[in-house]
Amino acid sequence: MKQRLLAVLLVLPALAMIIVFFIVPLLASIIGAFEVEGAFGLGNFSKSFELYSSDMIFTALIVSASTLLIGVFSIAIGGYLTLGENPLAVAVLRWLYRWPMFIPFIVVGQILRTFLAKNGLMNNILVSAGLLTPLQTVGFLDWRGIVIAFVWKQTPFVTLLVSGAMASLDRGTIEAARNLGASRLRILVEIIVPQVAPTILVGLILSFVTMMSVLSVPLMINAQSPTMLTADIAFRINAHGDYGVANALGLISLVMTAGVAFLYLRQTVKERS
Amino acid sequence: MTTRIDLWWLPRAVLLGLLAFIIFGPLTNLLLWTVAEKWYFPHMLPLDYGFGFWQRVFSPRGNAMVSLGSSIVIASLTVVVSLALAIPAGYALSRLRLPFRGLFLLAFLIPQAFPNLPVYVNIARFFYQIGLNGTIAGVVLVHVTHGLVYAVWIATAAFSAVDVDLEEAARSIGAGPFRAFRDITLPLAAPGLLASAIFVFLESLDEFTGTYFVGAPDVTTLPLLLYTASSGGNYQIASITALLLLIPSIGFMLVVERFLRADVLSKVGH
Amino acid sequence: MKTFINTGILLGLAMSPAAAADLTVLTAGDQNMVDYVNDYLGPLFEKENPDVKVRAVGTGPGDAGSQKIVERFDAQAKANVENWDADVAVVHEKFAGPMVKAGYLEAYRSKIPSGEMVTSDKARMALGTNVDGYVMPMFSSQTAIAYNPALIPNPPKTYAELAEWARQNPKQFGYNGIKGGASGVSFVMGWIYAFGDGDANKLMNGPFEEAETRKWDKAFAQLKEFSTNATLTPGNAGTLDMLSRGEIAMGPVWVDMFYSWQADGKLPPEMKLFLPEPGMPGQPMHYVIPAKSPNQEIARKFVALATSPKVQAEGIVKRFNWYPGIDAKFVQPELDKASWDKLFVDISPDDLATKAKPFPIAPYNSAILEAYEKNVAN
Repeated sequence: MKQRLLAVLLVLPALAMIIVFFIVPLLASIIGAFEVEGAFGLGNFSKSFELYSSDMIFTALIVSASTLLIGVFSIAIGGYLTLGENPLAVAVLRWLYRWPMFIPFIVVGQILRTFLAKNGLMNNILVSAGLLTPLQTVGFLDWRGIVIAFVWKQTPFVTLLVSGAMASLDRGTIEAARNLGASRLRILVEIIVPQVAPTILVGLILSFVTMMSVLSVPLMINAQSPTMLTADIAFRINAHGDYGVANALGLISLVMTAGVAFLYLRQTVKERS
Repeated sequence: MTTRIDLWWLPRAVLLGLLAFIIFGPLTNLLLWTVAEKWYFPHMLPLDYGFGFWQRVFSPRGNAMVSLGSSIVIASLTVVVSLALAIPAGYALSRLRLPFRGLFLLAFLIPQAFPNLPVYVNIARFFYQIGLNGTIAGVVLVHVTHGLVYAVWIATAAFSAVDVDLEEAARSIGAGPFRAFRDITLPLAAPGLLASAIFVFLESLDEFTGTYFVGAPDVTTLPLLLYTASSGGNYQIASITALLLLIPSIGFMLVVERFLRADVLSKVGH
Repeated sequence: MKTFINTGILLGLAMSPAAAADLTVLTAGDQNMVDYVNDYLGPLFEKENPDVKVRAVGTGPGDAGSQKIVERFDAQAKANVENWDADVAVVHEKFAGPMVKAGYLEAYRSKIPSGEMVTSDKARMALGTNVDGYVMPMFSSQTAIAYNPALIPNPPKTYAELAEWARQNPKQFGYNGIKGGASGVSFVMGWIYAFGDGDANKLMNGPFEEAETRKWDKAFAQLKEFSTNATLTPGNAGTLDMLSRGEIAMGPVWVDMFYSWQADGKLPPEMKLFLPEPGMPGQPMHYVIPAKSPNQEIARKFVALATSPKVQAEGIVKRFNWYPGIDAKFVQPELDKASWDKLFVDISPDDLATKAKPFPIAPYNSAILEAYEKNVAN
């Protein structure tokens, strides 16, 4: 009992912060989502689904695909940083992978737009290097551009967490497995990843949440429809002054992320018991 | 032996080269735009280079340096407050028996998970009522609510990863709970905590909507200037501003890394 | 404990009262709007009023920028703030109406000398709302089609020819839909003016009738087909961006943005503009003064200066190539002929008189946007 009280007391300051400065202001928005012309109802939600259901699916797919790719790349980079045998290559990689993390999302949108476009810098370089002819170039300014932007920006974030966790693992088991002749890939998959799985999950969920709420990347890269929910929310507010549907969409987006987070929480609860 | 290493360098070089292209290609684009005076189709590279746009960014009324300064102050304070709140919370969430633990963790996620645009009006209204609008403290509070999810979740993971036995061993030889925490658990969790500090710092440097609603016109930050420039397609000004923002970001990371290497990594695994 | 110390530090930092003679100007729009106040108007005003300091805050381009100003006012109104933290705001036409209706603004036009020089209808009605007296137009902005004469020596002259051209040159026409900014919206509105079965004048001037909104089906079906042959671009800046890289040959842009992109070296200097028949919408940016601004008098002085013939000539026309907000006949005498003619290089005054349309009134505006989402974007 005493321990529980202590636990609550330790969490309380942080929790109070969130509740006072975010959840209370948020409540007004949530109530607004159920308000249609002064009366309560689900009108905003039916309108959201009518107009934006394809955008919801699109958002979920884009963010999930990006999360998956981020997971694969961050494990690969983190694994090489931990198991790599050539100190020079490890040092180069360690120096290399982090840069995108420092570029704000809106600038990521801007520089990838001028980089990935059909006549952008990437294709120009490839063409002048003789790897492509001008007729073969393709632009990536659609859903692929969003995925590329997300993976580019978020992989270093997860890698930093994952490689940190990998570095603090007990080297004993790894060395032992290595001495027994296990390949590095096998050590990574069978020994290292299971041990750092909670950190990988935390990193991926935080990435997932971040990507769900980014507005500038879809606005600057993807012009096509369907688009991401954040762009729809901005559109409802800016073009129609329609906070009802915007809040309903926000709530739908919140439910989507909460679902993913819930999966993680269930898993950690299982682990603890 | 030497021949084997040489052969391995082939795939290594190819992969590292590819990665370098993926990472530095877009960054080169950013650098080119900072000095491009004229750049349009069909020219692969800028036609004219110069520092004309730098003059615009650094014009005395442009406020770039003041904004950079307040961005750094705000981001640093955000880190300090977030960590001060997150360390006890993370410890409790990972180590102690807490009812509704999942719900607590979810609560921290909400500020990131609910797209913020519709909420800011309410936050601004609340801050006007309590007189926090236009203050650094107000902006820090908004940034902390967004940064806390990184700080708390990562702190929770970091404390979970520390072996409970070590702390209990310290307790059994007579260390008090606070001392055991300070001398054993905290240093072992430090790499994770410091990583979270980097993210909170970067998150604060990436934020502009909240800063506008709560800080402007009295508090302006560099991302606020960046937003106007970048969303209107002023590539040169946006790129220069982004380059300026790299200074505190990378500086902060270097400081953290130095601290990590010297003090903490030596203890890890002992 | 640590938390308490931190809070202490924070509260210390919170004490940063603004100086009494700060004049805060919130401005929606592009970077060049902020630059205009910071580099030109601010210093000019400070020279005449040495005890005042002007600070400009940009809120971002497009409707989103103006919306952020509205929201700031909303927040302060709901919080019952006595002295608002903005003295002058520059907003898009569309947002003037809601602000007047909400009672946020001061009716100041009759109190400044340049008030009488405003003759445009747009200063009286903003998308169907009476805003007479509350706004002073800063400049008039117009959308037009930008094209590269090297690729298209004879650009189409009407919407119908344009549609035909786009069919023959797939993916060479680009526009930004309706979610990425008003240049795309404007193109769509012009399309409905051209091909809708209803009365375009009723859309622009009202009154709103539900029946009118059902007369666009054919036009939207055509637009959907047109859009499959066109390239969709990411935003107002996105259209200019793709023009600059030669990925599209033609697209709707804001005239002022077009010129500032050219001035910044991001568009080939030979690019040109044209206005297709029956015309495309434009809108003014308005100066407004919040009723609860603590510096009413200074704010009025500021707007008076900003809308004086001299500043309109020197700042708006000569420096930025924007169409003046006050009646052009007061501005023209202040300018040399070359600067004046430069304004009309691509689009003649006649074109402007006949083909520069207003946006539809607010209810039609929303109805068209929603119909677009249902019929074209899906």
